[in-house]
Amino acid sequence: MKHIKIRHTVDTVITYIIILAISLVFLFPILWLLLASFSRSGSLYSFDGFFPTEYSLDSFKKLFTDTALYNYPRWFGNTLFVASMSCLFGTALTILTAYCMSRYRFKSRKALMKTTLVLGMFPSFMAMTAVYLLMTQFNLINSHWGLILIYSAGAPMGYMTQKGFFDTIPKSIDEAARIDGATNAQVFLRITLPLASPMIVYTLLSSFVWPWSDFILPQLLLKEKDLYTVAVGLMSLGDDEFARFAAGSMFIGVPIIVMYFALSKFLISGLSAGAVKD
Amino acid sequence: MTHPKVRKQHFKTVKEIVKRANGKVVCSACIMGLGQFLYRQWAKGILYLLIQIAAICFFVFVGAEAIAGFFTLGTIESNAWYGIEGDNSVIMMLMGILAFIVLAIYLYFYYANIKDAYAMQCAVEQGKKPRTLKDEMRSMLDDKFYKTALFVPIIGVCIFNVLPIVFMILIAFTNYGPDVKPPVLIDWKGFESFIKVLTLGQFAPTFFKILLWNIVWAVLSTALNYFCGLGIALLYNKKCVRGKAFWRMFPILAYAVPGFITLLGFKFMFSYGGPINQMIVEAGGKAIGFLDLDAKWSARGIGLVVNCWLNIPSSMLLATGILSNMNRDLYEAAKIDGASAFKQFTAITLPFVVFATTPILISQFIANFNNFGIFYFLRGGGLIADGYFLASDTDLLINWLYNLSISNDYYSIGAAISIIIFLFTSAVSLAVYVLSPSYRQEDTYQ
Repeated sequence: MKHIKIRHTVDTVITYIIILAISLVFLFPILWLLLASFSRSGSLYSFDGFFPTEYSLDSFKKLFTDTALYNYPRWFGNTLFVASMSCLFGTALTILTAYCMSRYRFKSRKALMKTTLVLGMFPSFMAMTAVYLLMTQFNLINSHWGLILIYSAGAPMGYMTQKGFFDTIPKSIDEAARIDGATNAQVFLRITLPLASPMIVYTLLSSFVWPWSDFILPQLLLKEKDLYTVAVGLMSLGDDEFARFAAGSMFIGVPIIVMYFALSKFLISGLSAGAVKD
Repeated sequence: MTHPKVRKQHFKTVKEIVKRANGKVVCSACIMGLGQFLYRQWAKGILYLLIQIAAICFFVFVGAEAIAGFFTLGTIESNAWYGIEGDNSVIMMLMGILAFIVLAIYLYFYYANIKDAYAMQCAVEQGKKPRTLKDEMRSMLDDKFYKTALFVPIIGVCIFNVLPIVFMILIAFTNYGPDVKPPVLIDWKGFESFIKVLTLGQFAPTFFKILLWNIVWAVLSTALNYFCGLGIALLYNKKCVRGKAFWRMFPILAYAVPGFITLLGFKFMFSYGGPINQMIVEAGGKAIGFLDLDAKWSARGIGLVVNCWLNIPSSMLLATGILSNMNRDLYEAAKIDGASAFKQFTAITLPFVVFATTPILISQFIANFNNFGIFYFLRGGGLIADGYFLASDTDLLINWLYNLSISNDYYSIGAAISIIIFLFTSAVSLAVYVLSPSYRQEDTYQ
């Protein structure tokens, strides 16, 4: 009995050491950027090793007040708008697609599945040229709705993850509801969706992060400085603005972290555990 | 596998309709909705008629011209001297493809219209009432719910994914290049660009060198990301770990910072004036150009590690989501049978996770194969190494494509290369997918 207890303690200690190491690996580069954002000089070359020699809040102040050339607050608002809209539409479309692909057996189903798989394999930005031309034809250059349209329309292509999840929810739950007289739409809204909440959270997060941090598409479609998203804006900063870059990038992480904590409760609990008794 | 059977039935209905259709169905075939009117289904009839009118308007005013333009790719050469605004071949091709998509959608409705009329004929023959619009709507929310739900996603994917891809494929068969681009007219040239890529001394050696490195990169980085992510998720799921949400926060933090920022950060970190070199110099060493033009393997290694840092958090999140949906009873049973923790992992956890994630594994492989950002931001674009044509030794095919097409206007060559990439990746992943349990036994866990 004692032997087992010791082994258990050793196991716990090792686990914690590994966890600490992992946390450090993930934290360090971010900490480095954070400290860099507080540096007084703003240039990387004045640092002593990893850390700045002098600290100040100047770059943050500049970030939000000196908006003549680089309007950071504006960029931030733009990005928030584009990302949250695309997140909502994209998630809805993805979940619907995944649900249908998982639960229905219809004649073009396997063909659709193979087609999407194949389509996803094309190197995407060769297609960018075409997307750009298309947007000029639809008059959606320099428009945030154009971006939202592209992000949301592209989102269902990644339905496979969600379908994999729906495949693991026992069908007997659906059948029980059908016997009780629910229609398929009701089964989806009242039963499958609540059960799939961890997967919805994952989808929400991932479809938010993509537009939030994408760089190529907004750079292609947004030509006016006031319409920039944060990613494009930060890239347009000059070389001598490292501290401002670091400060600006700190705030990029905030919405995602807030979202994660707001939603993490759903992510962790598997609701369908024990829903079916065999 | 119900598929072949369903397809056979499908052809049977077409044959049956052709053989047995009565006059009213033929009316529907001539003018959409007419048959429905004759069966006194006014609502349906009007709906189909409106579709017909919209389609006719579209093709008369825009569609026919667009389709013609697709084949000619423009006939009027622009001439600034005489003030002639010529045809833009690229836009004509794009609009032509769009018109074909609209045509396909129209044909779908046309077929649905005939099938509907025939269904009415059958219903009347059997003495039943034909299905009204209301019945159809109800069925759209029930047994045909998938049709309602998939309509918008499919249209969106057609316009923003299929159309650009088709466009790109077609570009490979033209002579769109540095010398031939709008306003010069572009022409169809068949397989010329493919032959150039595979045989011409200019392109072929670079292509094969990059392809080899690209495969090594994709396999290594996918395996690393996947197993590290799964490992971390399992670690955080252990019973002895307290404050799971707190520990998970660190990878999430990394996930929260957009990739290009981290990549630029790492670039600074490994640069000559960066902290790592400063420490080396202070210790009496010489500054190392980790990401220099001749730093082949150190740059590749840094790329792999940084890519892990970027992608492990998302695979961890995913694995956490999947693990949370597992049936806990299996573990209880295994414990009673005396299975060790390792045995539980290989016999229960791994098959389940692999089952649920094979498709994702494939898509991650593809994403890594076509990872544009990593070396673009880490080393800065546009590096050209010895023995390469417009590429460097860390460049993946996608980076080469960028250099060729976006920076240097070799569009048709670039398109030909992307088709070759596509053929390769799709062959690999389709094979893996079709052989995987998540495709063959979809219902295992349902």
